[in-house]
Amino acid sequence: MNRRNLLSLLGMSPAVLAASPLLADDKKKKEKEKGSASAGVVKLTALNPRGLPPPITLIPMAPRPASLDGKTIYLVSDGFPGADAFLNQISIWFKKNMPSVTTVYRLKAGGFADDDPKLFAEIKAKGQAVIMAIGH
Amino acid sequence: MGIPSAPLVTRAFKDLAILNAAKRGMPHERICFTPHPVWGKTPEEVRVYVEGPDPVSGKPLMKEIVDALTVPLSDDEKKSGIVSVSVGPPTFTDTADNLQDFYLNNGYTDFLPIILPTEERVDAMMKGTSHKPDEVVGKMAAGAYPPWSYNVRQAAASAVMAGCRPEYFPIALAIASTGIASLFSSTNSFAFAMIVNGPIRDKLEFNYGIGALGPFAQPNATIGRCWTLMSKNLGNGGIPGDTYLGSLGNNLNYNNVVIAEHEDASPWVPFHVQRGFKKEENVVSLFRGLGVVPGQVARGSSANENVQFDYQMSDLFSTFTGFFGALIIADPLVAARLKEQGYDTKEKLFDWLYKNTTQTVKDYKSRNYAYLFEYPQALQGREPYATWYKLPDDAVIPHFPRPESFNIVVAGGQTNAYPQAGNLSYGVSVSIDKWM
Repeated sequence: MNRRNLLSLLGMSPAVLAASPLLADDKKKKEKEKGSASAGVVKLTALNPRGLPPPITLIPMAPRPASLDGKTIYLVSDGFPGADAFLNQISIWFKKNMPSVTTVYRLKAGGFADDDPKLFAEIKAKGQAVIMAIGH
Repeated sequence: MGIPSAPLVTRAFKDLAILNAAKRGMPHERICFTPHPVWGKTPEEVRVYVEGPDPVSGKPLMKEIVDALTVPLSDDEKKSGIVSVSVGPPTFTDTADNLQDFYLNNGYTDFLPIILPTEERVDAMMKGTSHKPDEVVGKMAAGAYPPWSYNVRQAAASAVMAGCRPEYFPIALAIASTGIASLFSSTNSFAFAMIVNGPIRDKLEFNYGIGALGPFAQPNATIGRCWTLMSKNLGNGGIPGDTYLGSLGNNLNYNNVVIAEHEDASPWVPFHVQRGFKKEENVVSLFRGLGVVPGQVARGSSANENVQFDYQMSDLFSTFTGFFGALIIADPLVAARLKEQGYDTKEKLFDWLYKNTTQTVKDYKSRNYAYLFEYPQALQGREPYATWYKLPDDAVIPHFPRPESFNIVVAGGQTNAYPQAGNLSYGVSVSIDKWM
């Protein structure tokens, strides 16, 4: 599934919902249909059981440098097995193909979904980019 | 953080990565993908992955990464603001058959037929509580996602769908108030359990006798099912590839492990009293973990006339992950025998199990859960993990981090002295009475 279709599943596009005749929000039509038995077909009105999702606050992405020359890139593992070995090979790739880049490996503290404020502060102070490996 | 980043995710989690980034405000995040899995590969195999293509885009992976970090941002990527998310209109109108199909096809069900939550049925369900229809009950997330919120009316719709009677509804609301979803996004295919205590067990005719864990009573069956439907509908859980990633899934997720404690047949205080409630209070307690196994598979079975359930349990637990602890589900015959062995309190049993269920440090370090969840804690100095990771490989350590890792509940019909045990950890106990 492409990104556009995936994002539509979040309900970000009203067009997706409008595509279903069941979701047509026409009050008159609903009143007419509610409990009606036209043409021998009984129609029911049932509740939408879904909870309320929070709104999405868009976060502008960080500006990109024109190149990575001379930059320090943090290679961060979230702790899933294999991430360290993978990032090590990426470090080797940079040494071979972009030798002006410095790489720094770090294992993020805490569970895979936890913040690591100490590490993120270090990256902000000393790094110019991050590659974060997320399992498995 | 304000630093250019290139998330690197294995291909199996493509949809999850894109959707979760969007939910957190970056719908255009530049995610790069590797083949899946990367663990267990040799350095040479990993090198081939690094030098090969991104399996999603087909472009060279390292070029993708460098581009993700250097290509100037598009207008979409610079956007800020707030985007509302719709779950559709408050009601749907159609024939009963079409509505059944609609609820099923839109992921509102557990793929079994439901009771349609008509306005009349939902109104009737809400008569089971004194709380107002629009009262916010809580927030729920099926993992590391922004949580959804919900009110009494929305919870009532899932209770109707599950087949609950109105008098069961306070239990559903108590569960919903915890915000704990019974469908969790982990690849581990987690299972969930609840213990119901108090006079409500008899009032609602829960089954805690023969077949206590089976499909033999309406409250046991429907309240457990309701938890799963609420997890889907109120917390947006259970969407494979998005909010659910269990590789095999778990059959227990259909209605979870519902245990009404056989309080009168227990030689110990009821579970909720242990947790600080009065015996006459109605309480539901929730657990999470990996599943339930039968005690018969352990050494020291009841074929032995001098059966020792403490040793049997200890043997059974040697395959458990200490991370989740153990919930012993003891038939009253098992509980009585344990008391005869000298365990006149639960704490004595837990202390014995803690001291006698052991492992070597080498075995401990080889466990997946130790590496994933406890090693990071050890690095932060948290005990006992920090100490365990400093010990030599041949040192013997407890299998579970503390005596409180164990719990026991009594249920069953006394047709045989068979226990079961869940690799399940205690979460929380909440009042049912509060939701009446």
